[in-house]
Amino acid sequence: MNDLAIRTVDLVREYEGGTVRALKGVSLEVRRGEHLCVMGPSGSGKSSLMYLIGALDRPTSGEVWLNGRNLEREPDLDAVRATEVGFVFQLHNLLPTLTSLENVEIPMMALGVPRAERRRRAEELLDRMGLSHRRDAIATKLSGGERQRVSIARALANRPAVILADEPTGDVDSKTGGQIMECIQAARAAAGATLVVVTHNPELSKSADRVMMMRDGLLGPASP
Amino acid sequence: MLILKNLLRRKVRTALSVLGIAIGIAAIIAFNAVASGFKESLNQYARETGAHLMVLVRDVPSAEYSRISREEADEIARMDGVLESSGSTFYMMMMKGFPAFILFGREPDGRPMQRYRNREFRGELVRAEDELLLGSEAAQKLKKNVGDEIELFDRKKFRVVGIYTVGTVWENVGAVVHLRVVQQKLRMGDSIQLAFIYLKDPATRERTKAEIERRFPHLVAVRSEELAGNFENLAYIDWFVWVVSLIAVAVGGLGVLNTMLMTVSERTREIGTLRAVGWSCRRVLGLVLSEGVLISVVGGALGLVAGWLGAELLIRWAPKGYLGTFYSVTLFMKAMAVALGLGFVGTLYPAFRASRLSPIEALKYE
Repeated sequence: MNDLAIRTVDLVREYEGGTVRALKGVSLEVRRGEHLCVMGPSGSGKSSLMYLIGALDRPTSGEVWLNGRNLEREPDLDAVRATEVGFVFQLHNLLPTLTSLENVEIPMMALGVPRAERRRRAEELLDRMGLSHRRDAIATKLSGGERQRVSIARALANRPAVILADEPTGDVDSKTGGQIMECIQAARAAAGATLVVVTHNPELSKSADRVMMMRDGLLGPASP
Repeated sequence: MLILKNLLRRKVRTALSVLGIAIGIAAIIAFNAVASGFKESLNQYARETGAHLMVLVRDVPSAEYSRISREEADEIARMDGVLESSGSTFYMMMMKGFPAFILFGREPDGRPMQRYRNREFRGELVRAEDELLLGSEAAQKLKKNVGDEIELFDRKKFRVVGIYTVGTVWENVGAVVHLRVVQQKLRMGDSIQLAFIYLKDPATRERTKAEIERRFPHLVAVRSEELAGNFENLAYIDWFVWVVSLIAVAVGGLGVLNTMLMTVSERTREIGTLRAVGWSCRRVLGLVLSEGVLISVVGGALGLVAGWLGAELLIRWAPKGYLGTFYSVTLFMKAMAVALGLGFVGTLYPAFRASRLSPIEALKYE
């Protein structure tokens, strides 16, 4: 169990007083450093699973273990998210008034990292993303691909054990999407992090170590 | 970094919120400075007479309603330690072109009369009942000089024997006559409204005050520098001024509330992102509160300057000599505290709402 980054046990998530069952008992194990791709159509429960793994939500029943920590027993999920998880969203979700550099610094502020250290680490991450020349550009002035690369740098800011990417190429063209996936892969490899990509795009599953399919709140192996 | 950038993204809206607070704080400063200016001028008037105590009837709303009999005044004058007790009367009369014209009745030989003979004084002091000293502002307005005649009331003519300028602005738009002139006009016999008490030894002031109040329970002996504090109605002016000012401030506070509610609503998705990357509820609360408080600090600081300017403009536009201003560090501190409190309270609800947003709902927000 020590080599597991993520473990879920019979995970159920209901909404609206039980009338909507997004997850109907999902059990999943992801090894440290593994790249898992969870595919499935819209409304299948992919995002609900990602929110639970990412400590953004608590399950109706079942267990989530993240990097050896049972989230049910964690009183402060904010701290778990700050230290263990890095999110890459479909719409990048950068703060529009901040520069690339400042956006990457945001997660480090949650941990009280000193300003000079924040700056140094953010510069290093942007450099790795090939965005050194755009470090002082306001988020709204960046191209779609640049924004997503800044959001990858932000996801890596606190050196998380797990990177969760929700349709990371959903907002860019296929060529840029390919570059973004390369960036995420490289970042994962460099950080030795576990990567879970949630998508309905089969292209993104090609580079994954393992692909699973989500259908109607249940998770199973992808069809060959 | 984030606080300032968030506020600057909607410059006009932020500026309007700052303006709302600034107007409220300016109202506090301006109204209070003018009201305090009036109270301070009363104290200054009392101080300038040089009297150690001023005696008048207890619990009257104004010295105009006070009546001290000649016998009582004489008995006070004979008390141990009293060097001089000088009677005084005054009468606020109607005069064309003057919002108020105060006629002061003074004993010709008393120290309160001698006070007018300062460096700016021209002429002689009043000796007779048909003589009058004119304040410099009144003389200028009436175009009168020493030696001229003036008709004040009941077709009585007075000869201007001197023109004075003193530190109390509203005295300079009035006149000084013989004590008996006002006594006759108000049909008050030989009683006086106020007795200025001068002591042989200032150290005996508290003892003399207690002795006067023991012998004459219906009278009060006020330390000269505290004359304004004796009149309860002036405290009501303070109260009224604060109520009016706070209404203005409350409007500014609603502006902050509205701005911060809108900003939280607009930034729902961003708040969701902050929560997703590990920001705690408390940190989000602190961010939004800091934005509101910064609006208040800037608005408050602008309000202090605008209030000072406004008060000075107000007294320039008002009829000359009637209004003055008085500023105290306490007033500025109180106004700033109101601004900060308002920013804090006005932002509390939006900040609370922001901090309670579900990160998932916030991330899904369109």
